[in-house]
Amino acid sequence: MKFFKLENNDELQANLFSFAIHLALFLVMIFSVGWQTKIPYYGEVEIWDSVPVQKKINKTQTTSNKKIKQQKKTTKVQKSNEAKAKAQKEADIKLKKKKAAEKKAAEKKAKKLKKQKAIKDLKKKVLKQEKLDKLKKEMLEKEKVERLQQQVIEQQKIEKMQAELRENELKQQKKPALEGENEVKGGVNTGELNKYKLLIQQKIQQNVNQQLCGLDYINLEFRISLMPTGELLGQPKMTKSSKIKSCDDAVERAIIQSQPLPLPKDSGLFSKLKNLELKFHPNGVE
Amino acid sequence: MNKFLQIIFAGFIFFSSSVLHALEVIEILGGKASQIPIAVMPFKSFGAQKAIGKINSVIKSDLSRSGLFYALDTRGVIAAPNSDKEVNFSQWKSLEAQFLIIGRIDFLKKEKVKVSWSLIDVYKQQTVLSGEYVGKEKQIRAIGHKVSDKVYERLTGSKGVFHTKIAFVEKYNNQKYKLNIADYDGYNITSLLDSKMPIISPKWSPDGKKIAYVSFEKEKPVIYIQEIATGKRKLLANFKGNNSAPAWSPDGKRLAIVLTYNTNSQIYLINADGSDVKRLIRSRSITTEPSWSPDGKEIYYTSNQGGGPQIYKFNLESSEVSRVTFEGKYNLYPSLSYDGKLLIYLTQDQGNFKVALQNLQSNQVLKLTKGPLDEAPVFAPNGHMVLFVYKDYGKTTKIGTVSINGLKIDPLPLGSRQVQEPAWGPIKN
Repeated sequence: MKFFKLENNDELQANLFSFAIHLALFLVMIFSVGWQTKIPYYGEVEIWDSVPVQKKINKTQTTSNKKIKQQKKTTKVQKSNEAKAKAQKEADIKLKKKKAAEKKAAEKKAKKLKKQKAIKDLKKKVLKQEKLDKLKKEMLEKEKVERLQQQVIEQQKIEKMQAELRENELKQQKKPALEGENEVKGGVNTGELNKYKLLIQQKIQQNVNQQLCGLDYINLEFRISLMPTGELLGQPKMTKSSKIKSCDDAVERAIIQSQPLPLPKDSGLFSKLKNLELKFHPNGVE
Repeated sequence: MNKFLQIIFAGFIFFSSSVLHALEVIEILGGKASQIPIAVMPFKSFGAQKAIGKINSVIKSDLSRSGLFYALDTRGVIAAPNSDKEVNFSQWKSLEAQFLIIGRIDFLKKEKVKVSWSLIDVYKQQTVLSGEYVGKEKQIRAIGHKVSDKVYERLTGSKGVFHTKIAFVEKYNNQKYKLNIADYDGYNITSLLDSKMPIISPKWSPDGKKIAYVSFEKEKPVIYIQEIATGKRKLLANFKGNNSAPAWSPDGKRLAIVLTYNTNSQIYLINADGSDVKRLIRSRSITTEPSWSPDGKEIYYTSNQGGGPQIYKFNLESSEVSRVTFEGKYNLYPSLSYDGKLLIYLTQDQGNFKVALQNLQSNQVLKLTKGPLDEAPVFAPNGHMVLFVYKDYGKTTKIGTVSINGLKIDPLPLGSRQVQEPAWGPIKN
């Protein structure tokens, strides 16, 4: 029923037509221009209810006017859209070209980078090999050093223990001197004397290479004369041999190697130490 | 009475005065295991200038391998002296050298050389030993070893082993075996035997003329004795079961061997001509790897009689058995030093097989190597070094020496050869 009414209702027809055109335009705008472009202003939209009742002729005139207006508008929009699309296309082409150029450049760069990387890798490999070799060497060296260090540590431990033992002995010997503060024997401070004897003993013991003295418990004796500077006056004189030549020699070398020996500045003390008897037990005592 | 008192008083005065004037005595116990710093200068050549190898490198390498010497770097030392009169002693002292070796090589006719050398004591500022050797040009390494021996003996009191030979087994082409003989430092290798079947346990006779070894060429282990000079060999033991682990008695007349005969591995004695076989130890446990004491009165061996493998000794006179190793749960492969004072063996320590050195007087044990897979340690004939097999970082098996102070481990320059089962020959006079 309503359709029949529509046939005779020009106003409604015009309005419907106008609506259809608007809708079409709207759709064209959406799909051709895209969201990023600004939606053009296309005039006022008249709403059914508020449409004023007008005379037929006027209405047709107005509709036709409107049509022209709308057409003009659409062409304008289309034109602007085309121009925009063209610009877009050109921009796209430019972009593509740019991209292609960029791609080429990127490829070139990549190639260059690859080459550089290959060179770098090679360098790295060489460096790595060198590092490995170095590491291996270092490991071997380290092993050596560790072994030596271990021996040194063990030796130090033994020496420390011996030093402690000696110190204890000294303390006990020193006690009367400390109590009487200056216990003097024959004009000599025994505490000071023992201190220097200990220092001499330590210095020489460090240099005795016991490996050259076999494994048995042996002992040998030397006499030495010293200058106030701690240097030997003449050669050490062996008064008792270990009966192992290499051991006798090693001990003699140890004495010579220990020069200068630590000596007190006090002439009274020095006179007690200037002639010494050294008794060696390279493999300890039974 | 008064007189008596006077005498006592006078005696007292005399005694106290003698005490006052007595020498101060210092007792020095122990010492250090240090290396003697020695400088070995390049020997100067006279006559024809020929490249015959550097004799000073041989001497340097020998002395440092022993672990008792530290060969100083002499590069940059401008003044190479010709005699002890030319030596700038203060210069050598500042380098901390205790000894200096100098020498010259004169090229003679018929490709012969004369090597003259001197050992100079830097502290005493005098020559302590010198000598001369004449030999063929190609014997230059051997001459170097002889110089090293002389220097070693003079400074350590023990005979040098630098002019001795070693034997070892080389596996090649995967399944072939050679019994090789070389200088102690791995040079001058010659092959004594080539076999398609494995060869193990080579042992030098005390006179250094023969080698006993175990071969699998009869599809089971049997023992041969082979003469080195002629290559002639004879089958010593091919009894029922396995025949293995030969060990020469110090007089070279008998061998201890291991047979499985009727039971598990047991030690037997056999004459070097193959006669008179008799069982040595009656035990239900395994007894194997015999090694003679130098006096020939005891045999050290490995047995599992206490559970894990440990080293025991058997007295041939009293038939008494006593345990020798107590440290660790796994000790095997014993070998005694020439003087019978030291024992080396393999010990398992925290999962690693290491070479252990035991002082048989104090029973102190020192681990000479770090493992992880060390094998077959044998003493040098002077007891100052040990030859053993070890795996290095690249997992190749190497033969090397370790000094008994543990300060020096040195591989033999055998390249990529697959080597095993080393044996050290005696010192030849």
